[in-house]
Amino acid sequence: MVDYRRLKELIKLMTENDLSELELRDQQETVVIKRGGAAAQGVPYIAAAPATALRPAAATDAAPGVEDEEAGLRPIVSPMVGTFYSAPDPESPAFVSVGSNVSPETVVCIVEAMKVFSEIKAECSGRVEKVLVKSGEPVEYGQRLFLVRAA
Amino acid sequence: MFSRILIANRGEIALRIIRACRELGVETVAVYSEADRGAPYLRLADQSICIGGGPASESYLNIARIISAAEISNADAIHPGYGFLAENAHFAEVCRDCRIEFIGPTPEAMAKLGDKVACKQLAKQNKVPLFPGSEGAVADEDAAVAVAKKIGYPVIIKAAAGGGGRGMRVANNEVTLRAGLRQAQQEAAAAFGNGSVFIEKFLERARHVEVQVLADKHGEAVHLCERDCSVQRRHQKLIEEAPGPGIDAKRRDEVCKAAVRLVKAAKYHGAATVEFLMDEKQNFSMLEVNTRVQVEHPVTELITGLDIVKTMIRVAAGEPMPFKQKDVHIKGHAIECRINAEDVARNFAPSAGVITRFEPPGGPGVRLETHVVTGYRVPPNYDSMIGKLLVHDDDRASAIRRMDRALREFIIEPIKTTIPLHRDLMSDAAFNKGGVDIHYLERLLKK
Repeated sequence: MVDYRRLKELIKLMTENDLSELELRDQQETVVIKRGGAAAQGVPYIAAAPATALRPAAATDAAPGVEDEEAGLRPIVSPMVGTFYSAPDPESPAFVSVGSNVSPETVVCIVEAMKVFSEIKAECSGRVEKVLVKSGEPVEYGQRLFLVRAA
Repeated sequence: MFSRILIANRGEIALRIIRACRELGVETVAVYSEADRGAPYLRLADQSICIGGGPASESYLNIARIISAAEISNADAIHPGYGFLAENAHFAEVCRDCRIEFIGPTPEAMAKLGDKVACKQLAKQNKVPLFPGSEGAVADEDAAVAVAKKIGYPVIIKAAAGGGGRGMRVANNEVTLRAGLRQAQQEAAAAFGNGSVFIEKFLERARHVEVQVLADKHGEAVHLCERDCSVQRRHQKLIEEAPGPGIDAKRRDEVCKAAVRLVKAAKYHGAATVEFLMDEKQNFSMLEVNTRVQVEHPVTELITGLDIVKTMIRVAAGEPMPFKQKDVHIKGHAIECRINAEDVARNFAPSAGVITRFEPPGGPGVRLETHVVTGYRVPPNYDSMIGKLLVHDDDRASAIRRMDRALREFIIEPIKTTIPLHRDLMSDAAFNKGGVDIHYLERLLKK
């Protein structure tokens, strides 16, 4: 779900710059804000497409994309549906953690589906800034797993 | 009863299934492609999972991703809707292997009725009326010509593994038969992986009449009478109605009972529709069996007051049929008009884009099955049907008036739709008279 503070910031931004419509899109959701007509009290109309993560409650996953793009963070997304594992097995350490350096061929995690364990590669270079999913959690196609600060 | 059903489909049928599940107290998991991200109907499911990119092969046809989604959401059953994987016996088998209930027939029953040659054989054994034609796939050209000589031209060449109007060719004489045969076999091998073809008598003026059947896992099967789906363009139905206008009660009863015999003989459970062509003397010949729920199922729900989707779910869960044949009563007349995002004036070119104005009809006897709302963007990746407008009234004339009334209220802008065409058809003399044949619409459009 969209962060309320961020929403207030955006509305302030719109009003200050006399914008009538703003649309933000990221992997998880789209936010469209429209300001009412000439009326000074026009209430902004907000339509947020639902965050479609499996957990219907508050999202613990990624912050809105605008911020990340600005900060130069690149997401690593899941190419499949399945269960996320951060380590090759329960006894081993995680493939990567915050601060790890990755290159395109670095295996960052495993996503398991139908008893098949697939290694997911970073496909980018940089430093892991954020781990967005916990080991054992289900992930959907396109879901953001890590945020990497580009090298 | 299941705890959680995953809906392996999209759009209006996904919404239909979500609604049935909610009323049954079953949780729902909707899957969606990137092209359907943000679609309003998704929020009506308890969970939704993105399974891949827009192209159907990456999402709605991707068995691995759909099964994975079922696994991570702990769904105990999958409803395939229609199209996509609904008639894919391999998918039904994978579900079974993964201990997820496929809401539909067993892979074996599906294959039995899905293969046209095998189905014809079973039909013959169960006295289901068939077209005169070859006893199965034709062995060679000479065999085909011999059959054609016996039954008389024109004949139609059909692919055994085809369906929905694909892989068919008409031949008016021996020369075109021989030429057509070779081409048909090649095309069939390329399109369906199976070059077998068979020959049937071709009816020049026929009506498409199909029988809805529902069966449980305990050997019971019930028919819900017929639908007339003769208003078609390029083998795609545009208008369906029930009951079939002017059909003799005795003939109706015979063909419906035959459909039930066939479904029982295949040890089939779930929803099935047995399609026939009816000639001018009201003789029926079986075309094929659709082993899934059909687009036009609400037409039958309106005249019977029964819920086909809920019944499918109940029988899949092992419950006995919730009604017997004697409980099925027909009341009034129902018509469905398919609302497609197509520009009729430009040869039905697809009309994609954002719908900025959507004002649906309402009032008594009007039922609209659609996932579309104002602001909805019609994705280009899938078929053009954006909704189904249905009406129910005491008799056919009243139903036509009601449909005309509802169509006038219905505003969809700025994309082009088939609404204007349907309005013209409701005023057309031949349609009002009833009993038009399957080439009626194409003849009308040529004018």
